[in-house]
Amino acid sequence: MENADWLDVTASVRGDEDAYERLVRRYEKQITSLLWRFTRDPVQCEELVQQVFVEAYFSLKTYRGDAPLLHWLRRIATRTGYRFWRKKAREPQEMPLPDFEIMEQIEAAEEEERIDPSEAAAVLHALLARLTAPDRLVLTLLYFERCGTQEIAERMGWSRAKVKTQALRARRKIKEIAEREHLLERLGWTL
Amino acid sequence: MDTLEGLAKLARRAREEQTPVFGMAEMVRLRIQSESRQSVTLIPLGLFGGLSAVAASIILFMAVQFWQYMNSPIMELVAPLPEIRLW
Repeated sequence: MENADWLDVTASVRGDEDAYERLVRRYEKQITSLLWRFTRDPVQCEELVQQVFVEAYFSLKTYRGDAPLLHWLRRIATRTGYRFWRKKAREPQEMPLPDFEIMEQIEAAEEEERIDPSEAAAVLHALLARLTAPDRLVLTLLYFERCGTQEIAERMGWSRAKVKTQALRARRKIKEIAEREHLLERLGWTL
Repeated sequence: MDTLEGLAKLARRAREEQTPVFGMAEMVRLRIQSESRQSVTLIPLGLFGGLSAVAASIILFMAVQFWQYMNSPIMELVAPLPEIRLW
């Protein structure tokens, strides 16, 4: 663990608010980037990031320093995002794929590099939103965060076997959804 | 191209997306201060609630005891009067 982190953690536990503010500034970008995978609404994302840092502050005494602080924060953030999805799943919602205009922009791209990353993320986000929360979580972490099954299991407190089964099932479902939406044809990637 | 391969390709591109930066260290600090205050005000409230519950239990216990020893006023009317020698 980085010395600066450990110093700021111990100072924060003693009640030094400036030290905690330094920690927030240091890791805010990474946590925001992770939670952006859970919601693309800036207001909701900001709220989630705040929740993560507030929860982390009140749990700081339980942080033993075995793993880097960022790993610990990412675990809290992943669980916060997952709780957010589960809460949202109770409300009826229908997230359509990005409209035709956006798809046309993607279609116009000849190579992968020419696709706007934001549009690619929006399409992927909309596709993943059609899955259940556990399936969506596993694929989000696999696709966006490049997490391995072991890391997903650690973050969520699940068994590795459960993550593997979930990933297999989720991949099958997302494939069906993408084929139903003629995704490759719309992206011009059929060849 | 396989669909899953296409999705992986899309994900590769999506990972390069620039995510927003909010700059919320100050907001987090304010929220922590507000939640700390809330938890402090909840402690005396919980203490007061606990004491009230204990007091109510004692009163209830005493009430039950008194009820068991109390005579009914109607029974007093029909019960034979103790014989009193008038002379």
